[in-house]
Amino acid sequence: MTVLHARNLQFGYHEKGVLHDISFTLPKGKLVGIVGPNGSGKSTLLKLLAGQLPLQQGEVDIHGQPLGSFTTKALARQLAFLPQRPVMADGIRVEQLVQYGRHPHQGWFSQWSDEDARQVERARELMQLGPIWQRIASSLSGGQAQRAWLGMILAQNTDLILLDEPTSALDIGLQTEVMESIRQITGKNRTVLLVIHDLGMAARYCDELIALDAGRIAAMGPAREVITKDLVDRLYSTSVDILAAPGDGAPVIVPRRRPLPTVTASGAS
Amino acid sequence: MTMHTTTPTGVWRLQLGSATLLLHRRTWLMTLLMLCLLLLMFVLSVSLGSGNMGVREVIATLTGNGSKLQEIMLYKIRLPRVAGVIVAGLAMGMAGCLIQTLVRNRLATPDMVGVNEGASLAVIVFAIYLTLGAWPWWASPLGAGLAAAALFVLCRRPGEQGYLFIVIGIAISELFNALGEFAMSTQPLSHLTSIYFWTMGHFAHASYQAINPIVLILLLLCPLMAMINRPLALLRFGDATARSLGVNVTPVQLGILGLAILIASLGTAIGGPVVFIAMAAPILASWLARDNLAPIWLAALCGAVLLLGSDILVRVLAQPNEIPTGIMTRILGGFLLLFLLIKDRQWSD
Repeated sequence: MTVLHARNLQFGYHEKGVLHDISFTLPKGKLVGIVGPNGSGKSTLLKLLAGQLPLQQGEVDIHGQPLGSFTTKALARQLAFLPQRPVMADGIRVEQLVQYGRHPHQGWFSQWSDEDARQVERARELMQLGPIWQRIASSLSGGQAQRAWLGMILAQNTDLILLDEPTSALDIGLQTEVMESIRQITGKNRTVLLVIHDLGMAARYCDELIALDAGRIAAMGPAREVITKDLVDRLYSTSVDILAAPGDGAPVIVPRRRPLPTVTASGAS
Repeated sequence: MTMHTTTPTGVWRLQLGSATLLLHRRTWLMTLLMLCLLLLMFVLSVSLGSGNMGVREVIATLTGNGSKLQEIMLYKIRLPRVAGVIVAGLAMGMAGCLIQTLVRNRLATPDMVGVNEGASLAVIVFAIYLTLGAWPWWASPLGAGLAAAALFVLCRRPGEQGYLFIVIGIAISELFNALGEFAMSTQPLSHLTSIYFWTMGHFAHASYQAINPIVLILLLLCPLMAMINRPLALLRFGDATARSLGVNVTPVQLGILGLAILIASLGTAIGGPVVFIAMAAPILASWLARDNLAPIWLAALCGAVLLLGSDILVRVLAQPNEIPTGIMTRILGGFLLLFLLIKDRQWSD
């Protein structure tokens, strides 16, 4: 059962091509990561799937329906998207932030329903937002803020969730906290697609990975099969060692030292 | 611990048949408070001035127990000015709230970004060269529209580029201001007295001829304002999040900008380009309402209270002379701007 199907996506800013010939399907209920070096087109791909950028070439189907056939509000009931550095509006409380997630399901004459209350309550429980429920959202720490945002996304109650680098700028403890929260969100009927930089985190938490290289899919499949020394060396133009973590054998990626080429001082005298 | 969020905290849930509305409790309480304050200031304002007509006489006249002379003084002389001030203040507060929320910057107001200058340029040009005698209040949206079109073309994404929006706006504002002054300089000084006072923000010559149609247009726009209130609040989260929550960002932004410009230009048409109100009113409203992202109705009332307050102040201080209200708002606005910038400087230190 596929949630999303992308076929032959091409995209460019001005004349510069960013994505070339991208095709894949997202299976239901999986946590899928997009990895790749800086500038490989990860965020662009996510924005394209989220309807944040206009499709130039190729097709995207969500539950078998073309992306372009959804109104903005109808699309917001199918998929939720969290940008890389979301802007927190000043002054609002966490409770309000999570409630805004219900907007796609509300209308001018139906501003609050029992279903809204249920979904908001569920998001609060799942993201453990109780202790910070009445805090001003802009005063939260990085990890708490990210959980509050995930609460909002969760309240939106969509089958598909797209997250753009949800763990960037967080320390390792908070990264783990956020990734555990994302694992919690992923479920029977809910698919999560996220852009992630940390390959170790990606391999440990994601079910499947899509590796991008200069706008093309370099590898795709079960996370632990995708992460190979060969691929990582090639994608990141470096040399790494891949070790197996004690316990679950998840790949641990350690870059080898690579001294910079020595520069001779000729001509400087 | 389980807490059931059947109704969100801090709001009233209003059930009307099958419709459910949420009313932000603090915002509506503050709105009521501001309404009472405005009423008090209204009575005070119409009781001020030369001639023996204090609060008691005004109330008697308002309730139909005044003399003929008192009625003329109240309805023909004092009321038009006070009504003009209130309507202009409402419009400026509302327009300021719309643009500040759209651009996500407190400094983005119609008077900072050239909309008011565009409106006054059009009024000046029409008044000097084209419509001799009658006050061309209706020309103001044309000039404001021109300024806004220039602004939108030069800064394509107002939601993401607030700083650029303001800086380009200041340039447009200066340009239009200079053009207006050039147009005025082509005329003999004796023709210019009323226009000159108007460009400084003066309500002594406000007339029902301009106020009535403007009130009508503002009332017709109210349902539209109510409709955009919710998407407007979501724009505070930036374009990407607003879009992912189902807001059709570009058309909504264009609509809000259009609405804000029309309202700002109507506010300018009565008493001229008055600064400070459009900036201060939404800030005051947000402070009063606390966690409401777009308190437009409260901002409108704050605008009326602030402008009427400035008008009362200027009349009391300058008695028996006439000083344009705009000069007082300019002084207060200067202090506010300095305060905001210094506060921001402390943040960036």
